[in-house]
Amino acid sequence: MSSHLRSSRLAAVLTVVLLLSSGCFGGSGTIRLTLATFGEFGYRELVRTFERDHPGITVVTRVTDFDSHHKALATALGTGRGAPDVVAIEEQYLPRMRQSADKFVDLRTYGADKLSDRWVDWKWSAGLAGEKVIGLGTDMGGLAMCYRRDLFAAAGLPTERDAVSRQWRTWRDYADVAERFAATAGEDVHFTDSAANVFQSMVSQLDRNYFAADGSYIAAKNAPLKDAFTIAGELGANGFTAGVQPFTQEWSAAIRSGSVATVACPSWMLALIRNAAGPEGEGKWDIAAVPGGSGNRGGSYLAIPAQTEHARAAYQLAEWLTAPEQQRRTFLTTGILPSCPAVYRDPKIQSRRDRYFSNAPVGKIYAAAADALRPTFRGVDDARVRPRFDAALGRIEEGALSVPEAFAEAVQRGRDALGGG
Amino acid sequence: MFVVFGLLPLLYTAWVSLHDWDLIDGPRAFTGVDNYAQLLSDWRFYNALGNTVSIFLLSTVVQLLAALGLAALLNRPLRASSWWRAGVLLPNVVSVVAVALVFGQLFGDTSGTVNAVLELIGLDPVDWHSDRWSAHLAVSVMVIWRWTGYNALLYLAAMQSIPQERYDAAALDGASRWQAFWLITVPGIRPTILFTVVISTIGGLQLFTEPQLFDPLGTSGTGGTDRQFQTLVMYLYERGFTEYDAGYAAAVAWAVVAISGIVVLVNFGLVRRMVARS
Repeated sequence: MSSHLRSSRLAAVLTVVLLLSSGCFGGSGTIRLTLATFGEFGYRELVRTFERDHPGITVVTRVTDFDSHHKALATALGTGRGAPDVVAIEEQYLPRMRQSADKFVDLRTYGADKLSDRWVDWKWSAGLAGEKVIGLGTDMGGLAMCYRRDLFAAAGLPTERDAVSRQWRTWRDYADVAERFAATAGEDVHFTDSAANVFQSMVSQLDRNYFAADGSYIAAKNAPLKDAFTIAGELGANGFTAGVQPFTQEWSAAIRSGSVATVACPSWMLALIRNAAGPEGEGKWDIAAVPGGSGNRGGSYLAIPAQTEHARAAYQLAEWLTAPEQQRRTFLTTGILPSCPAVYRDPKIQSRRDRYFSNAPVGKIYAAAADALRPTFRGVDDARVRPRFDAALGRIEEGALSVPEAFAEAVQRGRDALGGG
Repeated sequence: MFVVFGLLPLLYTAWVSLHDWDLIDGPRAFTGVDNYAQLLSDWRFYNALGNTVSIFLLSTVVQLLAALGLAALLNRPLRASSWWRAGVLLPNVVSVVAVALVFGQLFGDTSGTVNAVLELIGLDPVDWHSDRWSAHLAVSVMVIWRWTGYNALLYLAAMQSIPQERYDAAALDGASRWQAFWLITVPGIRPTILFTVVISTIGGLQLFTEPQLFDPLGTSGTGGTDRQFQTLVMYLYERGFTEYDAGYAAAVAWAVVAISGIVVLVNFGLVRRMVARS
């Protein structure tokens, strides 16, 4: 083989490699954006509409699980490469990301500061880092309580959702209902899924959880937090919980086999229950108000890592996806709760019912929860401390610790996680 | 090649471990050996070390002995012998994530198959995840299942290079099959045994995927509600990627390297002496 032939072949190969690596097979001038989310955001359909309206931009969606998603983001920000162009950040990770605001595009550059009216106040301000705008709100996690009508009927409890809501105005009431339920229920049927799930719902109704506004760790002396832990822990100690956590195989198995009677369900939990319980669960579940008024648990923001090469196009996408009209569409198609007041006051949203959940008026239930909402303060290290409290509640369910022991341990382990000893 | 893919990352990790280094924001301050000093008084580190050693001993000893027996069986004339040989390797080519999922179902606390069987024969179900020993056992079973066949094939390859005359001579001298195995086969494959001991020691001390996925909470878990089965590398992962403390995680990484080195040397000497004596 002549060296001339060889070098021209090499050139051809190199050209192909270059073309592939620069990703410009979609024609010249095409911008390729990656959009990374976790779980279900309902963006698959929307993205197609966006691409149609924006020729020259293609969007690749990347969906992973909650935990891997945020770990991958942190790593990509640290190494300065590999981050998506638009990325979803869940509220418990947001405070930490705000600290590294320089790793994100300041969205004011593209006019985001004029969008503040779209969202409820707290949702908008959570996306700010000082003056900078780094995140645009997507959904919220308004709280309700899902329950099994058939299991309630078998236990002689009321089954109509208004009556159910009335019997547990507070979490103490909820614990009382648990006791009445357990008196007649079979050994394999539990009142609720896990103490941790109940606890996190209660925590989301508090003004302060593990941290004071100045960032100091107040878990040991925060009385409402201890009360919440005690009520949730006693449910576990009494065997009223199945000891299974959402997003696990065992949880799905327990929901499917009908051995869990209630689940504290932020709006995004509906999809989890529907998937776990399957078609045969249709009409067995219903939705009542959550004890203790309303609360918010979960909800995300879209941000643009500063390492993107297409900040303007990325902003177009993020701004469009979080606009009220799109939030309305995702609610109607997937039930994901909007964070724009204009949307959840929309009559069409208000009259929305969910057939799977015994035709419960989900629009009204969750919109009411959203209106009455006071968000809990989330410290920078929320995501570090929370798992330690969940684990301690798990220790109660395993029978390894009493409730006071578990609380002391959770406070201590939370402190360990903060300071490294 | 070794410099780029082996040495540089090692040195870089060492450099990171000498800093207060945030995963996202990068280095904040040079702190010298502070991370290592902290490590020495960190109960979470010792807990992970204890778990790692316990799971390592449980799984490696059983695994290598079983592999030896399996190889001896496969070394005898068998019908469809290549089918059997390929068969024992099968667990090793299945993705570890799939293995962890299946074993997670088997060892489920409330809806697991093993517990269902235990109840069927009148025994009490076991809380596989909450009790330290049962959790170590379950993780070890996973490791043993994956690696026994692989080691057996290595042994088998070595056994087949032992000349048949030695066995014939032993048979003439009236040696039983059992004696022939310990006096001819085992010494004959000594280099391979040493090799597998070294490799499975390194693998055992760096155990991560099986126990991490054994936690019902997956990658967000810390090896059980009380770190009952958190291994060293899982702890490294927690510090580095959950708590964003890259400097400390790098120090843990170097501790794992050091411990692996020591244990490999000890094992190497131990096994060499044992096998030589017989």
